[in-house]
Amino acid sequence: MDVTGAPSDAEVVARVLGGDSEAFALVVRRYEAGLLRFAARMLGSRDAAADAVAESFVRAYRHLASCREPARLRTWLYRIVANRCKSHLARRPIADVSLDEAPAVADPTDTELNLERAEQLALVQRALVQLSPEKREAFLLKHVEGLSYEEMAAVTGERVPTLKMRVHRAREALLQVLEGYE
Amino acid sequence: MNAIDPRIHQALDGELAPAALSAELSRVVERLVTAAALLAAPLPLASLESRVMAAIRRPVPSRARRLLRWLATPRAITFRVRPVWSLAFAAVVALLTLFPLGHEGPDIGEHEGIAQFVGRFPGAQSVHVVGSFNDWRSGSIALEDVDQDGVWRATVVLPTGAYEYMFVVDGERWVPDHLAERLVADEFGRENSIVIVRPARR
Amino acid sequence: MKLWLGLALLAGPLAAQSAQARLEGRVPGAAIPAVDSLVQRAYAEGLPTEPLIQKALEGGAKQVTAPRIVAAVQVSLGQLRDARDLLVHGGDEPPVTPGEVTTVAWALRRGLPGPVVQRVLVALPRPPRASAMHAVADLVAHHFDPDSGADLIIAAIGQGLVPERLLDVSAAAAHELQRGHTHAEALALVRQELPNVPASPKPTRGAVARARRPAAPTPP
Repeated sequence: MDVTGAPSDAEVVARVLGGDSEAFALVVRRYEAGLLRFAARMLGSRDAAADAVAESFVRAYRHLASCREPARLRTWLYRIVANRCKSHLARRPIADVSLDEAPAVADPTDTELNLERAEQLALVQRALVQLSPEKREAFLLKHVEGLSYEEMAAVTGERVPTLKMRVHRAREALLQVLEGYE
Repeated sequence: MNAIDPRIHQALDGELAPAALSAELSRVVERLVTAAALLAAPLPLASLESRVMAAIRRPVPSRARRLLRWLATPRAITFRVRPVWSLAFAAVVALLTLFPLGHEGPDIGEHEGIAQFVGRFPGAQSVHVVGSFNDWRSGSIALEDVDQDGVWRATVVLPTGAYEYMFVVDGERWVPDHLAERLVADEFGRENSIVIVRPARR
Repeated sequence: MKLWLGLALLAGPLAAQSAQARLEGRVPGAAIPAVDSLVQRAYAEGLPTEPLIQKALEGGAKQVTAPRIVAAVQVSLGQLRDARDLLVHGGDEPPVTPGEVTTVAWALRRGLPGPVVQRVLVALPRPPRASAMHAVADLVAHHFDPDSGADLIIAAIGQGLVPERLLDVSAAAAHELQRGHTHAEALALVRQELPNVPASPKPTRGAVARARRPAAPTPP
């Protein structure tokens, strides 16, 4: 249990494995936002992301006993979603990004800021789409989902030096594309 | 692709203080940080909780029903897309969750290793593996389908080395191991699979 | 000296006798004399006999006709001779060991061109070379260019990787292919990682606990 009184991941996993399947809802609420964001950025589609993440949660529930380190449930979930995204991308290339994408902003009345942010986001997303799936994944896990390189290794199964190289190349490629649009 | 100043990577990896960068390099770092921040904004998506919990609460179909559904559903792509991954995942899950109590297993010698044979043969009554490790005798190494899901397995202690083998299904059908990545012509018009047994103690 | 000569003379017929005993009841009777003769010939040439016996047993198990079994054993003998010639050309002093002949025969059967086999033999002047040969053959099986595959394994040897670990090198390259890299990228990535390619996982406790030895053959 943490300082807020919420059960830790290890406690929730123990409860679910002990037969309290409803406790899994806690896992969904805790991690769906990050996983959906990651999947949406990987796949370029919110609908595809929702399907991928929902299926991943169900799969995680059914195989929860194989999560060797319940305290690292988060990296385990990202691993399942990352693999599902890669399978999805192997079957179909990433969808083009809609310019209707509107990021949440602090002041919904500031429409001018909204529009500018939306345009910037569309530009960045378009640049992201041009990366290979591996580089895209590496950049998102590192800079958007905030995983450490060690956590990324657990998610991807790759070694840290390989991941560092991918992140570096992703940064370089993104910068090149972003500068190309100026 | 143009390589960028390595100090930019160091700063972004937390290995260099941002204050140590020049104005120009800081600008580049800022550009990437801003791009990441835009991507990090939460998406306006409905919660998946009700959808996921509904799927979890739905009773899992019986194995027979799942097998029928699997056989009836066109699965060319799924089956063709690296079945070694899904069966390797299944093998890994099985390996991680099966810790039989009491029986420690055989003492494995210095020049011995373990070979694991896995094959999907739904509906089979028996599956054996036959090869140069058992003088091509059928019957000495039987696979088992413990949970009746059509996936047959055997874990065998063998001297280290390379061996040729095939599966024999229901005592009469010779089938190569489709999961084996090593194949060799058998000089009889077919292909044998190859397993390389490495020392278990390494 | 006479004793050793006597024993050597006896060993030939003894080798054939043991082959016949193993083939009786498992291989069509019509094939046994011809297979026996090929086994004797191999023995006299200092070649391993076990691959020939195994090929005959395999044919019997697969219920192949006698002429096809004999033909297959003849092909196997030819492969052993080719392997022996490559070893001698590669610098191994005759008599080359039966184990090394078997190793090189494997490599040839798995599709390695002779010149590539020779390159590996030169890079590894002394046995054991089985892991190196199989590692290159694994790369070829994944459609890597044989010479490029040999380059990678030879580079790994040069970086001090023990023979046992060479299969991890080919596995790493195959893994990179499955990750979506091209063959050239995969080779470059693995080369960069040398000598620290990931080791293959050891058998788990569960696997060891489940492992069984093959059942002993029942007497006829």
